[in-house]
Amino acid sequence: MLPLFGGDENLSVDMIPVTLNGTKVSAQPGMTILELARENGVDIPTLCYRPELTPIGACRICVVEVEGSRTLVASCHTPVAANMVIHTHSPKVLEARKVIVELLLASHPDVCLVCDKANTCELRKIAADLGVGLPRFRVKKRYHPLEDVSPYVVRDLDKCILCRRCLRACHEIKKADVFAIAYRGFDSKVVVDQDQPLNKSVCRDCDVCISLCPVGALTKREERFKEKKGPPLFIKA
Amino acid sequence: MNDAPRGIEVMHKGEGSLLTLLKEAQRRHGYLPEEVVSELAESLDIPVGEVYGVASFYSLLSTKPLGKNVIRICKCVPCYLKNSQAILETVEGELGIKPGETTKDGKCSLQLTNCIGACDRAPAMTINHKLYVDLTPRKVIKILKRL
Ligand code: SF4
Ligand code: FES
Ligand code: FES
Repeated sequence: MLPLFGGDENLSVDMIPVTLNGTKVSAQPGMTILELARENGVDIPTLCYRPELTPIGACRICVVEVEGSRTLVASCHTPVAANMVIHTHSPKVLEARKVIVELLLASHPDVCLVCDKANTCELRKIAADLGVGLPRFRVKKRYHPLEDVSPYVVRDLDKCILCRRCLRACHEIKKADVFAIAYRGFDSKVVVDQDQPLNKSVCRDCDVCISLCPVGALTKREERFKEKKGPPLFIKA
Repeated sequence: MNDAPRGIEVMHKGEGSLLTLLKEAQRRHGYLPEEVVSELAESLDIPVGEVYGVASFYSLLSTKPLGKNVIRICKCVPCYLKNSQAILETVEGELGIKPGETTKDGKCSLQLTNCIGACDRAPAMTINHKLYVDLTPRKVIKILKRL
């Protein structure tokens, strides 16, 4: 009897062979390097990436080494390709990640001890994991007045690391487009309308941006200075 | 407010033509007033923040009123290596203003700009889109006197 369906080769998805930290693994087409790594239990730090948002490769903390590539690539938005040889924790990668964190901390206010984000801050956790203490670079800090006119969201943009999670969350999940990026270079800032302090009624009953902000830049008014439930910080050996 | 956005015709919705429209609005008004930015956003059907983001990104666009003469000094590396710092200091000294400011009489605004494509004859600046190259402090003083 003739088979009703084609052979096995039509049913199986083509798997892509990849070498991840010296081990041969297989990936599904379209998968990013980060997804492959996490699927295989390899931990790559991320800041701007969130599984529910479109990856944009803004912060570069997730860089990995791909043999044959001139530069390190951001794993969160780079799709795997056949026969890629990937190193997620080579000395070159670790050094780059450290410098990136140092640069982020250099313009970040030194207020961790009294910051509301406390031990739930993703930047602090990554810095601790990578063994970054005081940054070597002493540069001028950003200064933005605290925005606390909204009854729902308080914004302290000195702490903002421009990961654009709030922007994407508001656009992709809430579909409200409250935030945009304005200015240029060091002066870049997440603004509301024409750089007015945030005070929108759409923010009532929505805290999607607050819940996704990796640092202490966005806080819920009623939760400011309350106890935070988060895993304690630890430093990996 | 008269017809949206100040008589600038919007052919397509979306951000595709945003930069062209902003340039046109700036040409007409001398800068990009708040109402113009919000009207433009409304007729293009995109968020106000996005229009403001583009308007504040480019040094050739301004969201603040400008003086009659807009002096833009290049701040990029080739000009810097040819001592654009001295040019900037001379202009600052002559006019008594810092980058981003306008003289009290509204005659001159001083701004810094990214590369204006005249690196081969650095240091360079423009005044109302007219290019001045191979600058020296002395030359700059002469040019400013003629304004
Ligand atoms: S406010 Fe928070 S979520 Fe938004 S860009 Fe800044 S750090 Fe990211
Ligand atoms: S997490 Fe990949 S670039 Fe930010
Ligand atoms: S660097 Fe000044 S004109 Fe190009």
